[in-house]
Formats: sequence, structure tokens, C-alpha cells
Amino acid sequence: MTDHRILTPMKRAKGLGGGHSGVPHWMNQRITALANIPLVIWLIYSVMKLAGANYLEFTTWLSHPLHAGLMILLIVSIFYHATLGLQVIYEDYISCKCLKLTKIIGAKLFFIALGVACIFSTLKVALS
Amino acid sequence: MAEFTLPKNSKIKPGRKVDAAKGAKRKKTFKVYRYDPEDKQNPRLDEFTIDLDQCGPMVLDAIIHIKNDIDSTLTFRRSCREGICGSCAMNIDGRNTLACLKPIAEVSGDVKITPLPHMPVVKDLVPDLNHAYAQYASVEPWMKTETPAPTRERLQSPEDADRLNGTDGKGPSGCILCFCCSTSCPSYWWNPDKFLGPAILLNAWRWITDTRDEATGERLDQLDDAFKLYRCHTIMNCTNACPKDLNPAKSIAEIKKLMVERQT
Repeated sequence: MTDHRILTPMKRAKGLGGGHSGVPHWMNQRITALANIPLVIWLIYSVMKLAGANYLEFTTWLSHPLHAGLMILLIVSIFYHATLGLQVIYEDYISCKCLKLTKIIGAKLFFIALGVACIFSTLKVALS
Repeated sequence: MAEFTLPKNSKIKPGRKVDAAKGAKRKKTFKVYRYDPEDKQNPRLDEFTIDLDQCGPMVLDAIIHIKNDIDSTLTFRRSCREGICGSCAMNIDGRNTLACLKPIAEVSGDVKITPLPHMPVVKDLVPDLNHAYAQYASVEPWMKTETPAPTRERLQSPEDADRLNGTDGKGPSGCILCFCCSTSCPSYWWNPDKFLGPAILLNAWRWITDTRDEATGERLDQLDDAFKLYRCHTIMNCTNACPKDLNPAKSIAEIKKLMVERQT
């Protein structure tokens, strides 16, 4: 603790009070973790099945509504889970408030951008 | 960033060696953390070799023997010497436990004793627990009711009492506030200012689950925070460390379940 203000122990213990935002973060992290299990198994299965396939075979595979749908769900679930998880890691290990906030915002923007790019690519292949 | 190494002035240097067991049949060496804020020196690890026939069987007996007969400046907390008061919590042989409940015979080789991890040290084996006590007070660990107090006792069935005491006597009310659990928790190490830690959350649960207490929602409101409660990542060191065999991790999980239950 690098706070050098003269505060009573109770003032320090109470801090800024409850943020009332813990439950959705915790629940969403678990829901996406559960969703990731079948989705990643499906992805591994698909990659193995498509081993050696040429470009046309792959685009034809991804054009199937089921495959494109599952791919988009996987992208959303994985990147959302990664955003939530990275936030927890930053909150745990970075004590500098400014750096912590910068990292959290950066991670959110990065994964949103990555997710949008991946979804757009999937749709482009699927709909062309 | 989080501190993964000790700051320069906290690095432990080798200390003095005292052999107080010359000619003894049963010898044991105790490596004890020493720190005095007044001498401006780094902490050191003093080695005391003692005659086990001169003291009782527990680690607390050994350090009382060291204080009484070898080095009276050794500072530590102790009171009941039977695992009820929680005063003599310290790190022995790499684990947080109560010195009075830890048999010397359970430690193979030298016995290394350091204060509870990641707490400010007042002197030697005495950690500063002011913040932890304030966190305890912050969860208002007393019965809160709106219904006027009855003229006789507040009714509680044996099953309701089991929620506090546990059917095996290891329910949340068995906590003696030794802080072995909180100081073994990495989440508490990294964020002690915001995370309440397992000891306090177990006690918060003790009042949330009390059928006579009427402030359940208010208590849950206070804990509904990304740091106060949700820094717990179920590492389970707390349950592993508890010298009273309580299960703080389970209490925290129960709080998290109620948090979801009241939103669904």
C-alpha cells in the first residue's frame, strides 16, 4: 500500500465501498468458459477434419450456415472471455491505477477490434 | 506491478547462531525471523539450537523456551496455548499455522519460523493486524435486526444453529481470527487494501447465513464488488491453511451463490 494519507484503519478498510458490479462480470466469465468447451472441441475437430483441404474446400466448408454460425459464436465467446480474464489479471497484478485502467481499456478495444475483424472475415467468406 | 520479490530493506540476512544445547541428546535448530524497526537493519534469521528435553512438544513451547532462557528480546504473540485465541499464528516450516498446535516432531530438519506472510511487521514474529481487524469491523460482525428484540431468547432450531457451527463443529463460527487463511491467499497479498480476504469473508458469511440476522441484503450489497468479494479466484490456500480445519473457500462460494440467486 503506497497511500501515505493519514487515515483511520476503518477508513482504509471501507475504501470507496462496494462497486455493485461484480456479479455480471463473474457470471459472464463462467458462462463464456462453459460455452468455450464445446466450441473449442468443435474447432479442433473441424481443423483436424479439414487438414490438407485446399482454399475452395475450406471456403465451401465455412459457407455452411452451421459452420459460419458456430465460428462467429466461437469468436464472440473466446474474445469476450479473454477480455474479462485479462481484466482480472490486470486488476490482480497492476497496482498503478493509471496503468491498470489503460491496460483494461486497451484490452477491451483490442479484443473488440479483433472480434469485429474476425466476424467480418467469416461473413465475407460465408456470404461470397 | 505486483511485488514478487522483497524490497531491498526487507531482504532477510543471516543472523546470529546460538547453540544452547551443548551435550543434549535431542537437539533441534530453530531459524527464527528477527526484525526490529528501531535498529534500522534488515531482517535477519537467527538460529537457536535447543535441547528438546528442556521444553514442551509444540513449536510455541520451543519459542517460549528461547525467550525465557536464551534471548528475551524475541517478540511474538501468544496467549491461550491451546488453539483458541489465534494469537500465535505464524509461518512455520513454510505453512501458516498456530505455533501452539504445531508439534515440533512434525517438522523434519530445522524449523524455520517467519511472521504471517505479506503483512507489515511490527517486530520479529508480530505482524500488524490493524487493517485486517478494521476489515473485520467493516462487515459489522454482530446481529442486526429490525424486529424488536423478543422478551425471551431469539428462536433458532438445531438445524439453523448447524449453519453456523457446522454438523461437525467446523462451521464458520469456529473462526478464531488468526488470519492464517488471509495471509496465505495470493489475492490478499496483491490487493490487501481492497479484497477482504478469506477470514473476513468467512465471518461475513457467518452473519449472512445466521437465520436470526435480518440484514442479509444489506450485507450482500456491501460485498457486491469486483474487489471485496470477487478477488477470490478459488485458489483454496485458505482452506488448506486453516489450523481449525474450517473451510473459508466454501463460505466464499456460498456468498457467490447467493449473489447470483438474488438476481435470478
